Amino acid sequence: MIPAASASPRKAVAEPPAPPVAAQRWVLAGLLGAVLLNFGHIAPWCLPVAVAAVAWRIWSVRGAARMPGRAVRVAVLLILTVAVFVSFQTLNGLDAGASLLVAMMALKLMETQRVRDWLIVLGGSLFLLLAACLSSQSLLRVPFYGMELWLLCTALYAMGARNRPVTARVLLRASARNLLIALPLSVLLFLFFPRLTGTLWSMPVEQEAQTGLGDQMSPGDITNLVDSDEPAMHVRFDGTPPPPAERYWRGPVLHRFDGSTWSRLHPAAEQPSEVAFAPPEFAYTVTLEPNKHGVLIGLDMPVDTPRELPAVYTTFDRQIMSATPLNSAVSYHLVSSLQHRYLQPLSAAERALDLQLPYGRNPRTLELARGLRDRSVDDRAFVQAALDYLRDNGFEYTRSPQLLGRDSIDDLLFRTREGFCGHFASAFATMMRAGGVPAHIVTGYAGGAWNRFGQYLLIRQSNAHAWTEVWLEETGWMRVDPTAVVDARYANELDDVAAGELGIAGRGSALARWLRTSGQAWQAVNAWWQDQFVHFTAAKQMRLLGKLGFRDRDYQTLVAVLAIGGAIWLSLLAWRGRGLAEGKPRDTLGRSWRRLERALTRHVSARAPHEGPVAWGERLAAECPELSATVRLLTREYAQLRYGRESSGAALLRFDRSVRLFTARIGRRSPALSPRARATAATHRS
Amino acid sequence: MALLVLMFLASMNYQNNLGLLLCFLLTGAALVSMYECHATLTGLVISNAHIDSAFAQGEGELQLGFYNPADSSRRSLRLRVTEIAPMSFDVAPLSGSLVTLRYQARARGRQVIDRLHLSTDAPFGLFRAWTWLHLPLTALIYPAPVRLRPPPSPDGGPKHGEREQRFGGEEEFAWLRPFRDGDPLRRAAWKAYARGGPLMIAHYDAPAGAQRTLSLKLLRDLPLETALSQLADWVLECERQGESYALDLPRAVIQAGHGQAHRRHCLEALALYQP
Repeated sequence: MIPAASASPRKAVAEPPAPPVAAQRWVLAGLLGAVLLNFGHIAPWCLPVAVAAVAWRIWSVRGAARMPGRAVRVAVLLILTVAVFVSFQTLNGLDAGASLLVAMMALKLMETQRVRDWLIVLGGSLFLLLAACLSSQSLLRVPFYGMELWLLCTALYAMGARNRPVTARVLLRASARNLLIALPLSVLLFLFFPRLTGTLWSMPVEQEAQTGLGDQMSPGDITNLVDSDEPAMHVRFDGTPPPPAERYWRGPVLHRFDGSTWSRLHPAAEQPSEVAFAPPEFAYTVTLEPNKHGVLIGLDMPVDTPRELPAVYTTFDRQIMSATPLNSAVSYHLVSSLQHRYLQPLSAAERALDLQLPYGRNPRTLELARGLRDRSVDDRAFVQAALDYLRDNGFEYTRSPQLLGRDSIDDLLFRTREGFCGHFASAFATMMRAGGVPAHIVTGYAGGAWNRFGQYLLIRQSNAHAWTEVWLEETGWMRVDPTAVVDARYANELDDVAAGELGIAGRGSALARWLRTSGQAWQAVNAWWQDQFVHFTAAKQMRLLGKLGFRDRDYQTLVAVLAIGGAIWLSLLAWRGRGLAEGKPRDTLGRSWRRLERALTRHVSARAPHEGPVAWGERLAAECPELSATVRLLTREYAQLRYGRESSGAALLRFDRSVRLFTARIGRRSPALSPRARATAATHRS
Repeated sequence: MALLVLMFLASMNYQNNLGLLLCFLLTGAALVSMYECHATLTGLVISNAHIDSAFAQGEGELQLGFYNPADSSRRSLRLRVTEIAPMSFDVAPLSGSLVTLRYQARARGRQVIDRLHLSTDAPFGLFRAWTWLHLPLTALIYPAPVRLRPPPSPDGGPKHGEREQRFGGEEEFAWLRPFRDGDPLRRAAWKAYARGGPLMIAHYDAPAGAQRTLSLKLLRDLPLETALSQLADWVLECERQGESYALDLPRAVIQAGHGQAHRRHCLEALALYQP
């Protein structure tokens, strides 16, 4: 029990109905932050509305303006709701919902009076933060989300500190401590809380910028191919990656041709024709960004289908299709083989499909192809002859070709003689079909940039490529890339990839190299984030269980791990809380004093229960003159610090240091203490 | 809570891991706040308790000193005696707070205050920790003063003429003496004070032997409690006038005197009087 003298009287106050102005400011700041984080996807007018509401609120607190009446509020509510509806044509969905929430919060500020109203604003801000998380999980934004959470938590603490104003520093520290303690539990929950494999209810599909390969290809209509640096997929190999020249990532297959445009069929699930694979095989994990074609892209040619995804089927032309739209990135594991041979002959229907040519189009090309076929001994020689033609007639690779006319292939072969992969694949496939060899176009990606920090291959949209497959009787479908024949530089590009892989950061100044290196490091971190965090799915969760050594990988194990981990966390929390409340671990002055007391008791004489620190010091000084100066000083200083007016942290530290020095000294010198002192010590002990 | 569940459902449905992590962090923060709430009460030391006496049916004051041995503040503490509005207070780290609370006095005699409710909803208002304080707090409740009759005359019997003179404000002014704590301010010599002198108290000369004996016997015709209330009123009135008075109760006679201690002595005797 502490003597009553140490309790300084403080006035207790009756509870105020509204939270203090400082707490209101915290909530307002939290709301503004939440609105800012949502800025990208909510209606643009939300930000000014929120800022205006907050400014009005701050001004009204200062000037004691009247709260607007019910009629005004209802009118504003209607206007804002209509505004949201006009902006999005709906009130449903994430973007419209978040905008509506911002509007509601702005409105709520007009009538917030009591603590409860302010808590509602705070809750709304938390929900806006969640909306921001739902709209973007980019790693760059995560620190901002964290700061916003900290801010809102601080606002909660500020709302709780109703009696006396508390400094911002104390509040920020308290909330940071709270969140840091909560972090282990949330990580535990994150890792082991059972995940759903589907959705609870279907949502409207967000209008996303659809990137990637299309359903059709008409190279003649394109005059400029824009390099998009958007990542398309990244691939992590289980073993060594395949050589650069073999990195063809097979995507949608285009069969139909109308003279200028190649387009896809949309076939249903079907048993593909049997294929014999030969080593070497490559196993790898693909993380595929969202696309609209629905094809799960793999290294040419995948041996099996991914087992992680719920609805996957294979078409007759060996495209791996996802039955559900790929609106978010997916991750799957595949095994591919570079060598394969088709075992069954081509069906009549398929042959007809891949020999189809539009009537009356590209007459000169057809004539050229038939001539080449007549001069070749077999189909294989014909393929070679066509490739030789493309190589030897001065064709140029360009990413900004001229427009092609109605007979696009004739225009390309005999007039412009320039184009990109789509042009040459299109021309080559037409020639093959004209010569009686079944052919189709395969779109996908070629190459990729090796990231040596992340040990993965990054494939961007600019890696998009088109090539052909031709049917030869002895091997079945065989990949032929006419672009590689036309343009040696294209092959060189693939070699560049190889150089990067060897760890040669490339040419250029030190700054450029540094930029490239740090860019790669950032990509690697980002890829890890996307892979391990954003796409931490039920399958990955089970794999984690396996890595931790659990044999039963099911929900029961997850729940058991959760229960045990949660119990440990709670008991640690309880244990820590008890120590803190009793003031044991952090009473530095008490700790220093106990240290001093122990040392003096051991070497000189114990303090009698009735003795105060100063009286004890005086007695010790008399008993043991050689220590008198220091003992007197320390005991007096303790009394001053404990019961005096001021006790700064620096003073406590200084006292602690002096005590440590002193105890160390008397610990060493204990045998040399005066006999009288030891005698008294002995009598005290007995 | 409802908010958390809602946020959780939304994240689950969108299969949004960042949203889930946010929910889990908030869940953790709420749990931590539960412990912080509990820790706000745990270890709080009641350093002293004092209860003032009160008149029956009136309100009395009660003071509790709290000491916080931890190095973090304890906020939003609420203390209430069952029926009266709570007081809200904080206790700073390594220091104390003195909380003054009003309580409702009931009947004359001893009143035990044992329903002290200490609670807190720190830090967020999500959880509430509470405890009943069982302290040895006993208040002495004086009889409520009731004026039915004028105080007795100094001789012991009511002599109206003299009473008129004494309480009519016509006393003989005798001398001034310096102000002492407890002196009735209405007798301060304000004029002298306004001239810049020290605060003086006018002293009135009472006739020799002008002590009043407040006796229960004088009120034999009243019911006991009413009589005691009347005695309490007389005690207060005499004290206000700065007179000397004695209290005469069966089995308890208090010699004449005046001042705070005497007044309390007399009122306590009245409070505890058993016929």
